[in-house]
Amino acid sequence: MREAQRGSAAALEELFRAHWARAYRAALLVVGDAAAAEDIAQESFLAAVRALDRFDRRRPFGPWLHKIVVNRAIDWGRARALRRELDLEDVAEPAAVEPAVAGERSEELAGALALLGPEQRAVIVLRYLLEYTPGEIAELLDLPRGTVNSRLRRGLDRLEEELR
Amino acid sequence: MKVKEALEQVPVDPAAEERAWAVIGAAYARRERAHVARRRWPLVVPVVAVAAVAAAAYSSPGRAVVDAVRRTIGVEHAAPALFKLPAPGRLLVSGAGGTWVVAADGSKRRLGGEGQASWSPHGLFVVVARSDTLAAVEPARGTVRWTLSRPGVLFPRWGGTRADTRIAYLSAGRLRVVAGDGTGDVALARAARVAPAWQPERHVVAYATPRGRVTVVDVDSKAVLAVHAAQGARELAWSPGGKQLVAVTPRVVHIWAGGRHQLLRLAGVQAVAFARDGRLALLHGRNVFVYGRGEGGNVFTAPGRLAGVAWSPNGRWIVTALPSADQWIFIGGRRLRAVSSIARQFGGHVSLDGWVSGT
Repeated sequence: MREAQRGSAAALEELFRAHWARAYRAALLVVGDAAAAEDIAQESFLAAVRALDRFDRRRPFGPWLHKIVVNRAIDWGRARALRRELDLEDVAEPAAVEPAVAGERSEELAGALALLGPEQRAVIVLRYLLEYTPGEIAELLDLPRGTVNSRLRRGLDRLEEELR
Repeated sequence: MKVKEALEQVPVDPAAEERAWAVIGAAYARRERAHVARRRWPLVVPVVAVAAVAAAAYSSPGRAVVDAVRRTIGVEHAAPALFKLPAPGRLLVSGAGGTWVVAADGSKRRLGGEGQASWSPHGLFVVVARSDTLAAVEPARGTVRWTLSRPGVLFPRWGGTRADTRIAYLSAGRLRVVAGDGTGDVALARAARVAPAWQPERHVVAYATPRGRVTVVDVDSKAVLAVHAAQGARELAWSPGGKQLVAVTPRVVHIWAGGRHQLLRLAGVQAVAFARDGRLALLHGRNVFVYGRGEGGNVFTAPGRLAGVAWSPNGRWIVTALPSADQWIFIGGRRLRAVSSIARQFGGHVSLDGWVSGT
């Protein structure tokens, strides 16, 4: 981080490569749309680059980035129902994007996750993919810890029902 | 159930990672260049500024230009600052000093840094392109409604109907279209570096191709509605009723309307703009011409080259810029108003991106 702040492109690339996959996966699991997840992860990194000078090096980069990613993904999920979609897929550039989730188990899980609300999905992803504690999730999402715990519990119950 | 294990099996598309890195690496490189430039400016600026002022004041050609400008529309007749617009509405401008909305009373709101901008069809929003980002901004408060990251975003143009809008823009040599709420972004075709133009109240866009054609396409049905030859097209515009499409090329101005093709043989037209009543203003070097509704001809000649043209929403005024005198000139029939010190007020030269109704 120090080197990236000083202008080292190689250091920034290292930071990007180290965090991209988890950021993208987290966004994908919250929004369930590969193109949107790519945009969200990309815009989150851009926001991080723009704020690089203000970043406090004593704090870890990951949680800072994940907070941006997950909050943007939640906003996207909330707004999607209100948005009109443009049906132009067949003239789009080949996106070269794999199916959203490959592998039977993760495919089933992704399908079950899609049945949850974006807020619940975010909590599950933060807990089980990014491995934050409920206390850390509460801080990242600016929620009471009790709310995080109840969302986790209800989310897991629902997933279990769907996957039974 | 091993949730974590399953979640970690979600594949990450390597192409997505590379696309993202291309955008982020480029944004970082620009940030670094800006840092270096900022570090150098304090030393360079005074030297350059003194040299430029001295050159302008003491070189005889420079002196002649300054004097000629003063004699005609002239600095002494120009308002020292923009106190109000001569007609109701809001003027959108953009340049090195940022994107600005100027209200009828002359008050200005800065919507962010350097970029290209255009109004939504009814002036409710502004779309701004800044290097790798397309952003929809609410102009009254400057609130960013959404952003989209794409490499090298250029020439955003907002069209469609009040209920269902679309934004066309260029990125990486392709014409792309996104819905007005920032969703459904797709690439449509390869395109030349020319601003696309929306047919009013429809989801039909005209764009210039790299092979010297102007193509008209319905973005919903994907049907190509027309392909016109127009080598070197550099500006496109639809008439307010959507019946005429104009393409400006270095040598002629093409006008297509209902199967008819007309040519206006006027070389060197820089810009065009339609008034709400269908009159067409053309910017040609130091001249502004207006055609339509039974009239046609020169309405203004400036002492220097003009840049940019826009009509007031009520169609009574035209605004153009005279960069050599750092002025905007408002032409209202026989009335003429000039405002000086534009660069100081807007942090640099700005382009005129549209004048719409509303407050």
